[in-house]
Amino acid sequence: MRFAVPRFMISEHPFPWLFPLIAMLLVFAVFPLAYNIYLSFHEFAIFKRSLVYVGWDNWIKLFNDTRLNNALFINTVYTVVCLTVQLVLGFLVAMLLDTDEKGFGVMRALFSLALVIPPAITGMLFKLMEDPQFGMVAWLLDKFNLLSRDVPILATPQLALIGVMIADIWQWTPFVTLIFLAGLRGLPKEPFESAMIDGASQWTVTTRFTIPMLSKVIAVVVLIRGIDLFRTFDYIFVMTSGGPGIQTYTLSFYTWKQFAASLKWGYGATLSLLALIIINVAASLLIKLAKIKW
Amino acid sequence: MYSLKARVLRIAVAWIVTLIMVLPIYYWVTVSIKRDKDVFTLPPKLFNFAPTADYFKAVLLDISPVQQSIESRGSLGFSGGGMSYMVPRLIDSMIIAVSSTVLVVSMATLAAFALSRLRFRGQHHFVYIVLSTRMLPPVAVAIPLFLTYKSIGLYDTHIGVILAHTMMNIPLAVLLLKSFFDDVPLEIDEAAIIDGATYWQIFRRIILPTMRTGIAATAVLCFIFSWTEFLFVLMLTATRLKTVPVATSAFVTSTGTQWGSLAALGVAALIPAFIFILLVQKNLVRGLTMGSLKH
Repeated sequence: MRFAVPRFMISEHPFPWLFPLIAMLLVFAVFPLAYNIYLSFHEFAIFKRSLVYVGWDNWIKLFNDTRLNNALFINTVYTVVCLTVQLVLGFLVAMLLDTDEKGFGVMRALFSLALVIPPAITGMLFKLMEDPQFGMVAWLLDKFNLLSRDVPILATPQLALIGVMIADIWQWTPFVTLIFLAGLRGLPKEPFESAMIDGASQWTVTTRFTIPMLSKVIAVVVLIRGIDLFRTFDYIFVMTSGGPGIQTYTLSFYTWKQFAASLKWGYGATLSLLALIIINVAASLLIKLAKIKW
Repeated sequence: MYSLKARVLRIAVAWIVTLIMVLPIYYWVTVSIKRDKDVFTLPPKLFNFAPTADYFKAVLLDISPVQQSIESRGSLGFSGGGMSYMVPRLIDSMIIAVSSTVLVVSMATLAAFALSRLRFRGQHHFVYIVLSTRMLPPVAVAIPLFLTYKSIGLYDTHIGVILAHTMMNIPLAVLLLKSFFDDVPLEIDEAAIIDGATYWQIFRRIILPTMRTGIAATAVLCFIFSWTEFLFVLMLTATRLKTVPVATSAFVTSTGTQWGSLAALGVAALIPAFIFILLVQKNLVRGLTMGSLKH
C-alpha cells in the first residue's frame, strides 16, 4: 500500500531539492534586502531610541555627501590598482611556473599558503612589517633609498592606501597565479608549436596567442577579484581604521562606520544598497560581455 | 627545447619569486617564537635569534607569561593583561566553520543536483539569483541580521554566526557542485531511469558516490572561507564567542600590540586550513572560480 504523495514532493519535481536552499535564500538574502530597503527610508533617532520615517532623505543625501564621493573614489583606486597589479603579476608568475620541471609542484603548493590566512591577520602582519621603527618592509624601502624610515607608511595620507594595497596584493596575487596556471595548463599545444616553428618571438606568442586564448580566464578573475576588491573591509579595519583622516575609507568601511559608530542605521543601509547596486550592475555587464557561464 | 642555462635560470627565478612570496609568512612564524627584543630590532632577525615557546604556551596552554621567568625575556616583556589563552576561540572557530560547512554542503548538494539534472522553468534565472547573492556586500546582510538577531536573541550566539556563514558560502557551494555534477554524463541518468530508478536513487547511488572528491573540495573551501571570515563575526558577536580573525584584536591593547601572541595565534590558525587546502589541490582552482573554469 502506498501513500499518495503530492506531485510536487516526488523526486522528479525540483521543489523538494530546492526547498532548503530557497528557504535559506528567503531568510538570509531576500529578507535582509527588504529590511535594508525599509531601513533606507528610516533613520534611527537616538533620543527616541527608535526608527523614524524620513522618506527619501537618505537617498537624496547620497548625492551631496562628500565623504561618499571620497569613499567611491578610494574604492575605485583600490579596485583598479589592485586588480591591475594582481593580473599582471599573477600572469607573469604563472608563465614562470607553468612547466613540468621537478620542484615546481612544491612552489605551486606554497603559493596556496597565502589563501588560507585570514585577511584580518594578513593586515596585522603587514601593519607590523610596515611599521617605521621595526618593520621589515619599511626597512627594506629605506635600504634601497625608496622611502625614508621617518615616513610612517600607514599614517601618511598619500601612502596609507598604498600600504593597505600591498597587503591585498601580497595575499591575492597567488590566487590569480593559481587560476592562470590552470588556464595555461588547459591551452592546446599545437598553435604554440607551429608559431615557434614559424619563428615567432616569445613576446608575439604571448600577446597574440596566450593572452587572447586566456580571455575567458581573465574575465573570471576580473569578476571574482573585482567583487571582492570592491567590498574590501578587513584590511582597512585592522591596518588604518580608515585613517589618516578619511584617506582609506572604502565604501564598506564607511558604511560600517555610519552604522556602528554614528548609529545612522538608515543611511548605513542606504549605502550598502548603493554598493549592492554598483556591484550587481558591473558584474552583470561583465558576465554578459564576457559570456561567462555556469 | 630550452638550453640547460635557460632551465637553470628559470628554476632560480621561480624559487626567488616563491621565497619572496613566502617570506612574510616565514617572518610571521619567527615573530611567534622570538622575544620582543628580537622583534623590535632592525635589520630584522630572520635566523639569528634564540627561539622561545612562551607565546605558544600562553596562547595554547594558558601558561601565563608572568609565571615564566622575567629576565629570560626582552626588556619590553609582555604588554597588556593575561588574556592570551586562545583555545576557546579556536574551538569557537572550529564549531562555526564545521557546522556552517555541513549545513551549506547538504543544502547545496540537493540544490546543485536539481540544477544539474532536472529541467524546469526559470532555471537560468535561479542560477543567476544564486550567483548574485555572491555580490551582496557583507555589510548589506550584516546590518539587517544584527538588528533582527538582537530582537530574536540570536545575537552573540554560535547559531547566528553559523547561519550567516552558511548564507555567505551558498553561492560558491551551489555553483561549484553544479559544475561537478555536470561532469557526470546524462546518458547514465537515462540508463538508470530506463531501469526504473527514481531521481532520488540516481542522486544517492550515482552522483554522490562518484562526486565524493568534488564535494570534499567544496567543503574545504567553505570551511576556509568561514575560518577566515571577519565582518559577520565582528558585527554579530559581542563577548560570548569570537572566531580567530576577530579574536586577534584582543592582542591590540592600549599599551601596545602583543605581536608574539598574535603571531602564535595566526600560525596556529594557519596550520589546519593549510592542511585542508593541500588535500584538495587538484580541484582548488575550479573551486576558487566557483566552477566556472574546469580543466
